[in-house]
Amino acid sequence: MADSVALPQPRTLSFPGRVLALVPGVLLLALVGYAGKFLEQFIARYGKAHHLVLPNIEYVLWAILIGLVISNTVGVPAAFRAGVATYEFWLKIGIVLLGARFLVGDVLRLGGVSLALVIIEIALSLAFMTVLGRTFKLRPKLITLLAVGSSICGVSAIIATQGAIDADDEDSSYAIAAILALGAISLFLFPLIGHGLHLTDRGYGLWAGLAVDNTAEASAAGALYSDAAGKVAVLAKTCRNAMIGFVVLVYAIYWAGKGQAARVENKAAFLWNKFPKFVLGFLLISLLASTGFFTRPQITAIGNLSRWAFLLTFAGVGLRTNLRELGKQGARPFLVGAIGEIAIASLTLGLVYGATKLSLL
Amino acid sequence: MASPRSSFKLRISLDTWAVLIALLVAVLVRAGVLKSVPW
Repeated sequence: MADSVALPQPRTLSFPGRVLALVPGVLLLALVGYAGKFLEQFIARYGKAHHLVLPNIEYVLWAILIGLVISNTVGVPAAFRAGVATYEFWLKIGIVLLGARFLVGDVLRLGGVSLALVIIEIALSLAFMTVLGRTFKLRPKLITLLAVGSSICGVSAIIATQGAIDADDEDSSYAIAAILALGAISLFLFPLIGHGLHLTDRGYGLWAGLAVDNTAEASAAGALYSDAAGKVAVLAKTCRNAMIGFVVLVYAIYWAGKGQAARVENKAAFLWNKFPKFVLGFLLISLLASTGFFTRPQITAIGNLSRWAFLLTFAGVGLRTNLRELGKQGARPFLVGAIGEIAIASLTLGLVYGATKLSLL
Repeated sequence: MASPRSSFKLRISLDTWAVLIALLVAVLVRAGVLKSVPW
């Protein structure tokens, strides 16, 4: 996740005007998210009352599906778009508050394993995507964007890298479209594969956090499996996000060395600018919760607030996914992305399997 | 000509806003302003 992702707001409006412009879309996120939660509970109650065995479809999936139906049929009206685009903002608030549900010991232990696997995953993914992109004769900067997007942090990483290496808007659009389309597919495939392989909550959560690109999709893919898997997926994905600055810096220096991007004068400032600050917020809340700053009921309340923030995020994932728009992208970037994603998903599944066998999870 | 004071503009990133708001919410829970949050 990068700082460069800003809410699309009309610049001509005053600050109160810009905040007011967000209200319709935020209300739509809340409505869609709550409809998903209502449907899950309604179906469970109906089945119980009528002694029927109905499939338990999580509110996460309902929220995403309702959002998808709206965005791909009637579309999201212009008045709602600015507010709907805030879903990443709610995601970050949700991640920071989720810190209350982790003890620092858990964060250090599971986070340590995640970080080790993340470093292996990033190194192998970047190398694989680069070779694959060259094989398919994609433009060099498009290869860089696809490699960063699929190995670290999806769309935000692509946007952060685009600025750092002076890539074309067209390359960036191709890479973003490929990553978004593959993220949407992962959302539905990952839980199916996880159940098929009988993965544990911890193993599946780690896998989703390591392999699904966008943070919103990784959180949703984890939550679709179970609440515990969702927690682990967010932790693993947060470790991955923390690496964004280092990878973008390496690429910025590489392209500057070729004379095709601006030089990085202050590397420390560059790293700080690219570092996702919500990681620090997550660690701080986890530290406070572990040192007894909050009582048990307060931790429960903060955990529930985190769930509400994620609910808005999941609604946003569906509402911002327009399948027709994604279909307009070039076939080759999508093909390279798809092959890369399958390879990365297989690789990370192997890493998680190995970590489980070594009793690291 | 704009004075140095007027040309200074503090830009807080979306990330930082999210952290500040989340911390504020946590403090409100700690202070008992937000007591029970149902799910």
